[in-house]
Amino acid sequence: MKNEIAGSVHNAYTIKLDNFEGPFDLLFYLIEKNQIDIYDIPILEITDQYMDYLFAMQEMDLDIASEFLVMASTLLHIKSKLLLPSKKEENQEEIDPREELIMKLVEYKKAKDLASILQEKEKTWKKVYYKLPEVLPESAFEVILDVTPSLLMECYQKCMQDYHDKQNDVSDKMGRILAQEKVSLKLKVRELLVKLKKGIKICFSQVYSLKSMSRVEVATGFLATLEVAKLGRATIQQKEEFGEIYIKPKRTKEG
Amino acid sequence: MDNLRDIECAIEAVLFAAGDSVSIEKISEIVNQDKKTTISILSGMEMKYKNSSRGIMLRQLGSNYQLCTKPEYDEHIACLGTSRKRQGLSQAAYEVLSIIAYHQPVTRAHIEQIRGVNSDNVISTLAEKNLVYEIGRQEGPGRPKLYGTTEEFLRVFGFNSISDIPQIGMNEIKMVMNDIPVD
Repeated sequence: MKNEIAGSVHNAYTIKLDNFEGPFDLLFYLIEKNQIDIYDIPILEITDQYMDYLFAMQEMDLDIASEFLVMASTLLHIKSKLLLPSKKEENQEEIDPREELIMKLVEYKKAKDLASILQEKEKTWKKVYYKLPEVLPESAFEVILDVTPSLLMECYQKCMQDYHDKQNDVSDKMGRILAQEKVSLKLKVRELLVKLKKGIKICFSQVYSLKSMSRVEVATGFLATLEVAKLGRATIQQKEEFGEIYIKPKRTKEG
Repeated sequence: MDNLRDIECAIEAVLFAAGDSVSIEKISEIVNQDKKTTISILSGMEMKYKNSSRGIMLRQLGSNYQLCTKPEYDEHIACLGTSRKRQGLSQAAYEVLSIIAYHQPVTRAHIEQIRGVNSDNVISTLAEKNLVYEIGRQEGPGRPKLYGTTEEFLRVFGFNSISDIPQIGMNEIKMVMNDIPVD
């Protein structure tokens, strides 16, 4: 058998050459062709055969992918390791230089075996047909609202109650601020009233600007504005959220 | 819905209308049974379809279920003229798919290491065919992408779940690795 292999090696590359998936594929082809036990690879023979293939590829002007060369050097490295007498410490266990290669080959073989199983299984399961999903109307899953007028009224009342409570809270805060702040709300109200007496529309941001006064002062200014409006001495207008606030004097009975 | 027959009928109707695979959670929600009961009902149905004279069968795909025709009747269906031909995969694609199936979640680098060849294009093709997908990224330098197989993979190759993939000669390999002859 072995003689036959040796004899046919030089012609072997004519059978199959360019459709190897990679170096492992070529190596595997050689192993299977020579019926070698994967766990006991005769590195010398395999390396020679592998190199023959590479030389043949070269002769035929085929581009040899670098991966094939990496494998070639790995094989030659292992071969040289096996040939050279190893000088090493007595008690150190000797490692087979082929071990790493064998591990990789075994892993590759597993993948190759599963690949052929997949191909086999695919043949059966591509005969199977599936149905396209039905187009289900979305309204089938919509929740229908269940509202009565009395429920609406309850909600509204609750809303208003909350609003009212909040209002009370603010007035509490205002009392606290009046008692604590150095900046007096009374003073601010008086200031604002003086300005309003001139009968001109005031821009809030121009009178109370953080550039020229403290945060507390601006806040108190705002409270003063509200207070003035509450007293009925001015109307406040704000067209959009976070927009400019205009304070417009309102003519009172005295003025 | 307490009657087993009723439940089975409802599941059949739901799966038929769905066409696509339906998750166990969804089915158990629809028939108002707990997950464990639903699974046993479904495996019962699977056997019934298999053993009785039906043209359709029930398939488990991971944690989903789907109705399909039995493979034996593909020639009859082909007569309808709706037969579609899926373009086959290349040898390399089967190899890469096998590696991903075994080692998932797995990085490109690992696949390349096992095959000894760059496999980027093949992986892209497999992802295009919806057989593999990017599960996530590995912690560590470069955070490389991790690949795994899809439900479509189970569907195309007739597996019930990932654990259904045959483990080839694991024990044999381990055993032999221990007594590699030392030259």
